[in-house]
Amino acid sequence: MNLIEKLEILSDAAKYDVACTSSGVQREGKKGQLGATSNAGCCHSFTPDGRCITLLKVLMTNVCVYDCAYCVNRKSNDAVARASFTPRELADLTIGFYRRNYIEGLFLSSGVVGSPDRTSELMVEALRILREEYGFRGYIHAKAIPGTSVELLDALGRLSDRLSVNLELPSQQSLGLLAPAKSRHAILSPMRHIHESIAEDKESRASRRKRLTMYQSHALPVRKSRAFAPAGQSTQMIIGATPESDFQILNLSASLYQTVNLKRVFFSAYLPVVKNPLLPSTDAVQLNREHRLYQADWLLRFYGFNVSEIIDAENPFLAPDLDPKANWALNHLDFFPVEVNTAPLETLVRVPGIGVRGAKLICRARRQSTLGEAELRKLGVAYKRARYFITMNGAWGGSGIDFSRDALHARLSAPIDGGRHGRRADKAVPGQMTLFESVEQPPVLPEASAANQAALEVAFAAQSKALEAAKAVA
Amino acid sequence: MGDSPEMYDEVAYAYDGTLEGLLTAIFSSYANHEDPTDVEPARRLQPRLGQRVAVIETNPDYALRVLRGVRNRCGWQAALALKRAAVSDEPDAGTAAYRFVRYATDEQKRRDCDHCRKRATCKGRGGMGPCPKQRGRAFSDITHPAVERLFQISRSISQECEHMRQFIRFEHLGGEGASLWFARCNPKAAVIPLVMDHFVERLSDMPFIIYDEVHEMAGVYDGGDWYLVNTAGQGDLARALPASTADEALYAEAWRTFYRSVSIDARMNPELRRRFMPKRFWKNLTEMKEDPKALARR
Repeated sequence: MNLIEKLEILSDAAKYDVACTSSGVQREGKKGQLGATSNAGCCHSFTPDGRCITLLKVLMTNVCVYDCAYCVNRKSNDAVARASFTPRELADLTIGFYRRNYIEGLFLSSGVVGSPDRTSELMVEALRILREEYGFRGYIHAKAIPGTSVELLDALGRLSDRLSVNLELPSQQSLGLLAPAKSRHAILSPMRHIHESIAEDKESRASRRKRLTMYQSHALPVRKSRAFAPAGQSTQMIIGATPESDFQILNLSASLYQTVNLKRVFFSAYLPVVKNPLLPSTDAVQLNREHRLYQADWLLRFYGFNVSEIIDAENPFLAPDLDPKANWALNHLDFFPVEVNTAPLETLVRVPGIGVRGAKLICRARRQSTLGEAELRKLGVAYKRARYFITMNGAWGGSGIDFSRDALHARLSAPIDGGRHGRRADKAVPGQMTLFESVEQPPVLPEASAANQAALEVAFAAQSKALEAAKAVA
Repeated sequence: MGDSPEMYDEVAYAYDGTLEGLLTAIFSSYANHEDPTDVEPARRLQPRLGQRVAVIETNPDYALRVLRGVRNRCGWQAALALKRAAVSDEPDAGTAAYRFVRYATDEQKRRDCDHCRKRATCKGRGGMGPCPKQRGRAFSDITHPAVERLFQISRSISQECEHMRQFIRFEHLGGEGASLWFARCNPKAAVIPLVMDHFVERLSDMPFIIYDEVHEMAGVYDGGDWYLVNTAGQGDLARALPASTADEALYAEAWRTFYRSVSIDARMNPELRRRFMPKRFWKNLTEMKEDPKALARR
């Protein structure tokens, strides 16, 4: 098997890993050495599905001892060809791609071959060749395999910039159903260990820099060591393979941001790659749901929202036709309108149509001049959406419109039309009159209700029953 | 009638298209007590009716004085915006830069120091020197007509720089014992001088050339230092270079394979790809070029 065939198999197997970022660490280049990283990261290409390629995303091997129902590489799948890279091959390929400016670095994951420790040893060897023999200073994202020993995890963390442990599914119940070999504890314990190691590393570095007291110098590490995962850790989970609600998912990710200080939680809409009686055959609904979850995730990380403001137990799914921020605004009309010329930054970012960048530009521009409609448009604010929620020097922007929930809902609702192209783009916006009134309506997510909650329980029960049946047959 | 200066009531400055030229033009407007209606590179300038054209002789000393003055008074963001405006292809970029400097130097002089805590020790008292507290003031007033255009130009150039950092693709060329990396690009503005530092930093152990086929210039890094080469009128640079090495085709093929296999068909969204990766870059992207083997088979 030649290099290109291997690459084809192993990158195809890795494509369902969604994490593709090269951000979070600034490392200047060194004369005579290859590579540097920048804080913002850099996307080098975009696939036909519009996702960015920033890292060479491959598996070390797609041989796996586990049998997770949702995964293409599971042991019982005979349809997929198996291949493995040697550490040297992988390092050479990374360097070759990096020199051509194809990639920003390496994203290394792996199927579990033999045992988690054996797999991690192979990964550490590949990264060691890159970092120590080739002196590579680019970005490396490594996936920690649950069940790996602490020493190997440390070695992996010292060689890479970001570590991640896949949460796979959002609850213990679902894990038991679809990934019987993995448990919540086995996933969370390496996550906690990585969190502690990063904190410890940061602390020892800080004391080295500051030299707080003269006594501390005895305790300092003598050799200058590589930082432990300086770009932090991330995780990902699959959405829609199991019946968890958005409420559960967002609460889980919010608690992960707080407890183990994750940089990102990635969501991956479940796409039926594997035919299995346990799994639903879903469609575009899950992709739209993923989109709304990411919008909510951004509100958590950059807009200063609390998870309880975005979603609550009574409405456990995000509204399909309204983005979470507009939804919050419609539920809190007493907060608006805000005066753009005086409101603080954290208030401005809560206005639909004004993002973080727009809010910062407003704060910068209003020091010199008073802002009106023309000025806001120049600053790149989505005035069409923002006007109902702001006053400009006392004048409300939405005159002529009833300031009520229903009237504003009609103006702000924006269904997701991502992925529409060619003939699919011809569809009319819902609510708009069309020549042929029989135009398909966009799919609607299940509304939250007690009856629905009961339906979800039934779905869970049916899935477990099917699992029992499958086990009995085996 | 003759060409007496009195018959013209407007003047346009023609500079040589470089950053130094633009800054010298700005300097000259102060030195000559003139207010030019247009400041443009000589090769692009179309004089208006009744407009006198003054050709500006580039002087690096004057240019440095202007750049320092702008940096001290208006902050480094404003100085960076001038650098970006100088490489822009927009016809009004030079004029926008000039208008901004005129506005900003006046604006920064007006200063109310009465309530400043540091007024006793401040060297810039009375508006003559730099006041660190107010340095970025003029450039941050982005909705002002004199600032707005420069801000727009600066933002579009910084975007084009980011596109270059993303989409430049190197090819490994080799002759007898020599090794060279070559990239070809077609940016909307002559941004090569602004991105060379980025590539030199990360690829410091390999000599490379980035060739801009639109503006006919090349950034050359020889392993020690980098410089710009003007290739205007000399045809395509690639003809003067050796052929690609043996493993180049292998890596290009591997990259195309990776690009194909990493895409998920169920998520197909070509509009999104075109938004992030505009079509005008595709002809120089290894992954978007057609496979040479498939072409030969046809």
